[in-house]
Amino acid sequence: MSNHSHVDRVLDCPMDETPGARDLLEAAMQWHFSPETGSPFWLERAKKLDFDPRADVHTFDDLKLFPNVVNELREVRAEELIPRGYGSFDDLYGVYESGGTTGAPKRVVCMNDWMERWLTFSQRKLDERDCPRNVNWLALMPDGPHIFGAALREGARRNGGILFTIDMDPRWVKKCIGEGRAEDAGRYAEHLVNQARHLLETQDVGVMITTPPLLERLAQDERLVELINRKVSLIQWGGAHMDADTRHLFRTEVFPGIQLQGAYGSTMILGGSLERVDTTGEDACVFDPLSPYISFSVIDPATGENVPYGERGQVVMNHISKGMLLPNNLERDTAVRMRPPEGQLGDSVAQVAPVASFDDEVVIEGVY
Amino acid sequence: MEGMEGAQEIQGLVQLDALGPRGAFRARNRLTVPDVGGTPVAELSLVPSLYVQRSMAALHRAGTLPADERAAALDRAGRIFATETVGGLTPQEYRALVSRCSGLPVAVVTAAAEIVADAAAQARDTTSQARPRGAVDHWNDPSTRQGRAVWTRRGDVFAVHAAGNHPGVHALWLEALVLGYRVAVRPSRREPFTPHRLISALREAGFPDDHVVLLPTDHAVADGVIKGADLAMVYGGDEVMKKYGGHPTVLPQGPGRSKILITGDDWRSHLDVIVDSIGDEGGTACVNATAVFVEGDPAPVAEAIADRLAAIPSLPPQDPKAVLPVQPVKEARAVERYLLRSAEGTTARLGGDGIVDELGDGSAVLRPAVFQLPRGDARQAGIELGFPCVWVAPWSRADGIEPLKNSLVLTAITEDEQLIGHLVDEPTISNVHVGDHPTYWMRPGTPHDGYLAEFLMRTKTVIRD
Repeated sequence: MSNHSHVDRVLDCPMDETPGARDLLEAAMQWHFSPETGSPFWLERAKKLDFDPRADVHTFDDLKLFPNVVNELREVRAEELIPRGYGSFDDLYGVYESGGTTGAPKRVVCMNDWMERWLTFSQRKLDERDCPRNVNWLALMPDGPHIFGAALREGARRNGGILFTIDMDPRWVKKCIGEGRAEDAGRYAEHLVNQARHLLETQDVGVMITTPPLLERLAQDERLVELINRKVSLIQWGGAHMDADTRHLFRTEVFPGIQLQGAYGSTMILGGSLERVDTTGEDACVFDPLSPYISFSVIDPATGENVPYGERGQVVMNHISKGMLLPNNLERDTAVRMRPPEGQLGDSVAQVAPVASFDDEVVIEGVY
Repeated sequence: MEGMEGAQEIQGLVQLDALGPRGAFRARNRLTVPDVGGTPVAELSLVPSLYVQRSMAALHRAGTLPADERAAALDRAGRIFATETVGGLTPQEYRALVSRCSGLPVAVVTAAAEIVADAAAQARDTTSQARPRGAVDHWNDPSTRQGRAVWTRRGDVFAVHAAGNHPGVHALWLEALVLGYRVAVRPSRREPFTPHRLISALREAGFPDDHVVLLPTDHAVADGVIKGADLAMVYGGDEVMKKYGGHPTVLPQGPGRSKILITGDDWRSHLDVIVDSIGDEGGTACVNATAVFVEGDPAPVAEAIADRLAAIPSLPPQDPKAVLPVQPVKEARAVERYLLRSAEGTTARLGGDGIVDELGDGSAVLRPAVFQLPRGDARQAGIELGFPCVWVAPWSRADGIEPLKNSLVLTAITEDEQLIGHLVDEPTISNVHVGDHPTYWMRPGTPHDGYLAEFLMRTKTVIRD
């Protein structure tokens, strides 16, 4: 690693500016695939590409040229993911891992400048909702190797409040369920809820951040529901899917006075997107990404082509920033393709759901 | 199609809302219910786990109507169910929908509606048959002053994972309501019409919304209905028996595997009972005979059964003369493949070349099958399929009751009282019909698989001043 950091006019643009898509793409290709600035991982990987990113990638569509490399992130040394253009480890915020649903965790690096951009974006989105400032946050979310915990810590600090946290290991929950020990997963959830209960009973909490399954757990306890309704003004949910009917029930029956805001993201894009403020009354639950750094497209996996707006397809995610390049990653989610706000790169997505498992098995024997 | 039920088309798709503790709920997540030809007919609202959780909590919070009101409301509900327009559907429209979607002959559906109405009217009498002689219904019975057993509920909330093979399955859980339970029913996707109509009728008749609910869910959420209840009843095959068999709060309703035993030489005069036991109810019920055991040579009996069943015509399910069940062609073919593979090593008397008779609209009649087994302990004798399908096996006194075990109903056409005694004593045989009584014979007041109240109730001693 060289001693001084390279500065790029486009990639290092001020936080309140948004580069044009073509400018960003071309600058990112130069950065990640130039020997002086690119990461050892990409420089090595580029040798196996059948195109020249610096010459051939100019538009959003050109990102489709890239293979999906996320599976290679399970084994690669973290140091090799850091672009050489950063001068020292001082620029590194941290190394984070995926949930580990599909095999060994995948690893990404998060640089300081990226964390700054993400937090600026998140704060803007919270302000759009009139999320109160100077209140405490309670997070029942994974921390540790998971990037979302780090972002919350920064977010609460900037928002002027205290962050109360609870240790949560989603891999253990998945392991319990995978081994058919739903009972153990239930006990673990109970353990988390009890910690949240104590915090809610004793502390001031204005914003709560949690997952849909834990929110359902909390909703089982009438006294907790009453506490939350009295203290909390915004609940941000993420990390798992929430169907439209569940959202409707939370909004209308369980937490009628509280704003619900979805977060949809992935470790593989170093962040994500926050639910658009619904001005239509249709409760479409639309997510607009942090464009142009993070972008989505909704495709038919059979053809690779976009599905028409309003139709469901599989989500492809791209992350393009100075610190990381992770293009053309087909996620395991489906979503309805939505028209983006003006100037956004790629699609917005709505009604995110897991890829359906089609079970055609016909039960034959027996009369029931 | 003239004269056929269902000729009167209903515009658009029938909406089957969830029926929750605060009234009907139309979910955004709706499952299309097609008829057997594949044409969409209805949409079933599927509720998420949060809805299940809140509904079950509401059932626990709710009270119970006084016993007299419960019995009266059930009686009214049965009549509404059988004779009135419910949820915009006339009885005729309802029967046509069930028939079109489940493939059950409309005459069977019509008869089943009567069974359900009867069960509702007599639920109180039926459950009282199960009350131990030593127990009274209420703690304030004068006899408790001397110390007495009182019959009480084991819990407050009862859940049912219902089956869709026959509307008659919904006659049973009404007994829980009359005993004062609040009840949640998760309908089958194949036939949600009957529980939807029945629960709507119960509400019209006076049961509050938070006393009886319909919670259609997908598979992933289904367990939540059971977990949220004190006691539950689950219909299913061997896998359900395995999952819930050892569970003290779950009553599995497993395979029927009903059988007929006939001893002596005079089988001809009992042929009606045998054939009816196989084919009545379209052969779809757990009380239909799956196997016939014949003392002596089974061949002439198998041939005679085959002759009779072969004469049944193939008709669409809505035809008033229909007798055989109908399924989508794809499912019918799957059943056929399974049957023919299972039947290897047996002698086909009917259906050896297949049982699927396509009606040309995407649906197919499942025609009867009769196979003769070489031995009484052949494994096929336990294969129960949802159409008139029977395995005819030899039986001798030396075989004893071993091949007759594990039967929901055993019709024994015999005069051997010692044998009858053994059959009645056998714990894995749930009902014994001796002589000319078909396997499907049922009356309110007699137990189906034991009294449900044996599971729902307990006794406790009360003594007072």
